Amino acid sequence: MQSVGLKNGLRRVVLWAGLLLILLLIVFSIYGAFIGAESAKEFFNSIPLSVYWLAFAILLISAIAQFRRLLCFRGLFLIHLGCIVVLAGGIIGSQAGFKVQDKLFGTDTIRTGQMVINEGTTERAVELEDGVIKMLPFAIKLVDFKIEYYQPGQLIIRTPKGEGFKIPAQEGQKYMLGVDSTSSPQADLGSVEIVRRFENFKLAREGDKRIAIDDVNGGPNPALELLLKQPDGSETTKYVFERFPGHARPDDNLQFSYRRSVKDFLSDVEVVKDNKVVVRKSIEVNKPLHFGGYLFYQQGYDGDAGRYTVLGVTNDRGLGIVFLGYILLCTGVFWQFWLRHIFGDREMED
Amino acid sequence: MIAVKYAIQGFLIYAAMAGYLLAFVVMLSRRRKAGHILFLAGFLLSCAAIVYRWLHVGHIPLQNLFEVFLCLGVLAYPISIFCNRVLRVGGVAADMLIGVVVLFPAGFIFSAEPQQLPPALQSWLFGPHVLVYMLSYILMTKAAVQAAIQLSGGPFDYAQGGQTKDNLLAPEDATYRMICAGFPLLTLGLVLGSIWGQNAWGDWWGWDPKELWSLASCLVYVGYFHFRYMFGKRFPRINSLWAVVGLVVIIITLLWVNLSKLFPGLHSYAM
Ligand code: HEM
Repeated sequence: MQSVGLKNGLRRVVLWAGLLLILLLIVFSIYGAFIGAESAKEFFNSIPLSVYWLAFAILLISAIAQFRRLLCFRGLFLIHLGCIVVLAGGIIGSQAGFKVQDKLFGTDTIRTGQMVINEGTTERAVELEDGVIKMLPFAIKLVDFKIEYYQPGQLIIRTPKGEGFKIPAQEGQKYMLGVDSTSSPQADLGSVEIVRRFENFKLAREGDKRIAIDDVNGGPNPALELLLKQPDGSETTKYVFERFPGHARPDDNLQFSYRRSVKDFLSDVEVVKDNKVVVRKSIEVNKPLHFGGYLFYQQGYDGDAGRYTVLGVTNDRGLGIVFLGYILLCTGVFWQFWLRHIFGDREMED
Repeated sequence: MIAVKYAIQGFLIYAAMAGYLLAFVVMLSRRRKAGHILFLAGFLLSCAAIVYRWLHVGHIPLQNLFEVFLCLGVLAYPISIFCNRVLRVGGVAADMLIGVVVLFPAGFIFSAEPQQLPPALQSWLFGPHVLVYMLSYILMTKAAVQAAIQLSGGPFDYAQGGQTKDNLLAPEDATYRMICAGFPLLTLGLVLGSIWGQNAWGDWWGWDPKELWSLASCLVYVGYFHFRYMFGKRFPRINSLWAVVGLVVIIITLLWVNLSKLFPGLHSYAM
């Protein structure tokens, strides 16, 4: 390894400019990390930065043109070509890229937005980031939306002084809470038993009594029925609701909450084109639907009743190019730094 | 925020730390064989710690910083041996210390509260993405150690070029070799993260702080390569400085979620 390229004037400029642009990108990235994702996105899409990206791509191309070694060393060539291809894909898929393409070709494309679809209904409207509504050339029907939880959930118990217990919310389980070490004199907290679990807690009338029932047909109101036993033998029944964690009476000396962690969100959808169902798919986080040049991914849902889903919509333009760039880049780096040493093909070493 | 662990999990981590630390001390007193045996013992204990964790949480234990540092503690040994035997990069004693340092946060700082995998982490990319990063981080740490030896004018006589007595590379060359070994993994980690982002959020690049820090760390090494290509070994200290700065940026990337709490109001992204 010797300082080759510096003898030739133009090469020297390209190398120095390359180093400068790399340093600048480090500085920009760190700045972007401090201002947060939203502002960083705006910053990196601004006009000065668009000029920067263009300069970066041009410099990479001129480096390949200038340095024979970049062409001859397959790895180095793939690395730099990969960067150019990723940049090209990024530019084509960027906000600015879409604007230019729409102007050039007189199109009006959806780049990114959201769809809210109710269970059982069919929707083609996409709300863009700026609130404008645009229509897809096909429709999406939400057949069913499901949320799956990890079983069992957790019962969380807090003493007035903030000591906490976490207990698996399993029916029939009984736990001794022991002594509250934070109170003085130290108080025995007694025991708690999880008597029943409700998916949808409701109070129903039976004669002149009100009883708790699990109403499978209504909206979700997950709850636990607890039996609290004091050291003096007295017993109280208590209901703890997942969706109303603050539900406590002033004389309660323990605070309870019920938590379940989401395992999965699933939107079972059908794509309807020309009145025909062309695709059926269950969209999950990490498993988007790819159809008609768009990606539909699980972004949100109806937190109250689970009756609608929110799908993120993104145009896939430029995405294939970016991924191709990734393949070139990764093949390049592994070839250059690992594989060519392993396979003994050292090409034209220094 | 101190989280000492009392149960079996804690015992295994502390025992592994003790193994690594003893190995380091014994190594300094020039009993290499005993040092290596202790290093191996520390490794086996850290393996036991991570297997225990895996069985306990029921998924690949790479979800939070506790698990990630535990994983680094496991990787320290095999990477050290591989680098020494195959890549001819020394610093085995330093690797023992690296083992202690990376296990320390797992043992004493981060909470070991088991967590269930949220939907966003249920992806085939979860394991490979994090593991590839952890491997590259250990390699880049070794690069920074070699760079620090070079900067401090360490025990090797760099001017003699090439190699040391033990047939190991001199620190400047060793730094370069370590970065050559780690850079492909760093790049792959970034690319896998981007593909994952595409699947989970529909965007291959979200300008998120964690993404930007990891881009910056990758770019520091790109800067290093270009600088070293331009000037060769004319400014060995500056070459080494790049490697040290690279590690600093990596540490910030890894801990950004925690560090960002020091800058109130900043967007942070949960690991
Ligand atoms: C901005 C424009 C860039 C220019 C002008 C440029 C130019 C060069 C040149 C001339 C070389 C020397 C090739 C040789 O060994 O003969 C090189 C090496 C290299 N470049 Fe770039 N490059 C640029 C950007 C990048 C980027 C973004 C990456 C990121 C992956 C990158 C990664 C590398 C690597 C890994 C080497 C190998 C260095 C070594 O083997 O020591 N370059 N580049």
